[in-house]
Amino acid sequence: MSEKTIFSERMATVPARKGFVKSLKKDLAGWGFIGPFMLIYLVFLVWPILQAIGLGFFKIDLLVIADRTFVGLDNYFRMFWGENMQWTVVNMWEWRLVGLLLLVPVYRAWRKKTLSNLEGGVYAALLVLVFAVLMGLAPGEGGRWNDSLFWLSFGNTVLFVVLSTPVIVGMGLLLAMALNRPGRWTGVLRTVFFAPYVLSVSVLTLIWAFLLNPQLGLIGSFLELIGLEPVSFLTSPTLAMPAIVVATLWWTVGFNVVLYLAGLQDIDKSLYEAAEIDGASYWQRFRDVTWPGLRRTTLLVMVLQIIASFQIFGQVFIMTRGGPNGATRVSIQHIYESAFRDFNLGYASAMSVFLFLVMIVFSVLQFRFSKDET
Amino acid sequence: MSQVTAKQTPFLLKPRVKQTLFLSLLSVFAAIWILPLIWMFSLAFSSNEALQLNTNSLTPIDPTVSNLVGVIQGGLTPRWMLNSVIVTGFTTLFTLVLSAMAGYAFARIPFRGKKIIYPLVLAGLMVPREAMFIPLFLMFAEADYHNTYEALMLPRIAAPLGVFIMTQFMAAIPMEIEEASRVDGASRWRTFWSVMMPMSVPAMTALGIFTYILTWNDFLWPLVSATQREMFTITTGLASLQGNFAQATELGSLMARGVVASLPLLILFFIFQKQLVRGISIGSGGK
Repeated sequence: MSEKTIFSERMATVPARKGFVKSLKKDLAGWGFIGPFMLIYLVFLVWPILQAIGLGFFKIDLLVIADRTFVGLDNYFRMFWGENMQWTVVNMWEWRLVGLLLLVPVYRAWRKKTLSNLEGGVYAALLVLVFAVLMGLAPGEGGRWNDSLFWLSFGNTVLFVVLSTPVIVGMGLLLAMALNRPGRWTGVLRTVFFAPYVLSVSVLTLIWAFLLNPQLGLIGSFLELIGLEPVSFLTSPTLAMPAIVVATLWWTVGFNVVLYLAGLQDIDKSLYEAAEIDGASYWQRFRDVTWPGLRRTTLLVMVLQIIASFQIFGQVFIMTRGGPNGATRVSIQHIYESAFRDFNLGYASAMSVFLFLVMIVFSVLQFRFSKDET
Repeated sequence: MSQVTAKQTPFLLKPRVKQTLFLSLLSVFAAIWILPLIWMFSLAFSSNEALQLNTNSLTPIDPTVSNLVGVIQGGLTPRWMLNSVIVTGFTTLFTLVLSAMAGYAFARIPFRGKKIIYPLVLAGLMVPREAMFIPLFLMFAEADYHNTYEALMLPRIAAPLGVFIMTQFMAAIPMEIEEASRVDGASRWRTFWSVMMPMSVPAMTALGIFTYILTWNDFLWPLVSATQREMFTITTGLASLQGNFAQATELGSLMARGVVASLPLLILFFIFQKQLVRGISIGSGGK
């Protein structure tokens, strides 16, 4: 205590000028070191975000990009509105009900004080606004959306997220548990399951487009072998999206395995020993030790998976071009084609902002979970 | 005594048998998992004529290297590989140096403004890059900078993940090591370059390999920015071939291009697997 006082007294006697020069030197050094990165960061990341918001209010033709016409909310009107719009309780009620059920975990987290009043309130308000109010809007009889492809693409994107997330996360967990044991051979197996992750999307599609091809692919011949008709997965409206999910599973599950393996390593080994002494079965050990111990990891993996899935593009763009009949058309593809096929950059920008906002919700959640970890 | 062993042996054996059985099952599953990759390699080394009749072999039919030779000799694939190597190499290099510099400042130099700037950089971690390509496209179009290496590299270098990783790592390096160097009269730059950088090699390897793979596999931005065929990366180039290649007749050649495109990454992966795993764990906030 007294030492501290002496120290601060000494500090006070240092001539002010010297302290000023010293801190100025530190400022210069600090800014010098972050300068190069910050310059690129501001120009190529921060500025484009701000611009995207502004560009959404303009009509910009790809062929004459300098020529911009301010159109106010027209682009957003085109996205979100249609003819004969009506609000009904029953519109998409199943999805809305599922969405509103998310209020339960929010409420419980708030009761347990893991969510502050403000944060819990914001989440609850958002859920009610989106699921109870906004999703009740749809074109009534004889009406139609201004851009029905926008909703088709967004619906497919959500479908992909909903289909792929449980599969890829669940498989990641199973594989991680299976591979979480010492030994050279398990190391080899880990490498095998992880290897596809380093391939680029066009190698993935090269392999899978042919693998799924009914005449040329391995899967078709396998089906024939067990006495079934070869199926043309990628041209079937019902099977195309599941096929893309399977290809994506093969490609990216290794990433989740890595995160889950790290999570498993963090679980206190003595908990397993205690469970073993108590004579707990595999299932009991999983339910009472592994699963609770992986809670944070699971949340993180889920959120990362959701963010990645919302950005799905390459797989469908190369393998199906969004077909058959729009069954696999996704949001990024719609943005891409609005900009580079229909030359409408302003509208594409407005849609980017929408997708950005949807994903930022999940990004904020990821940030929360990973911040709590450290 | 003998009774005890007789009783114990099955008890000891049982888990081992179970373990072996389990590992065998898992190995079979792993073998199925790697089949598509083996298939690609097998087709790449099969002659195109043989593939007209049968494409289901997991070992090359009528083995030949002519497909691979064809990739190197003709077409734009070598050029695309070169583009990818240049873009990926420099992006990784710049990401490493700039992230390390910024990370050092954020971790160690108490400068004014840090408390505002660092959260601003962290917020960038939340930005989904794929949703932001339209304004980026317009920026480069206005400057007439599309179809250049710079256009392919700069947006990737702007990603703040590296700064986050390096700041975390450098903050954990013991203060004494840096102070010893500073007391010896070394400048900040010297301290950074010859003390902190060498100390950060583990983190930088992890970040480097992660950046390399992500950049090599970038698809949407190169697709939008590099529209001249000579400026394609191998990732977009390979995608462009899949639509209009005479697929049925030249399957072997096409697969050979797939092999060429993925071989550099697979080799890197086998060398740096540990570092890549580390990079993923740190980078996603898992650990």
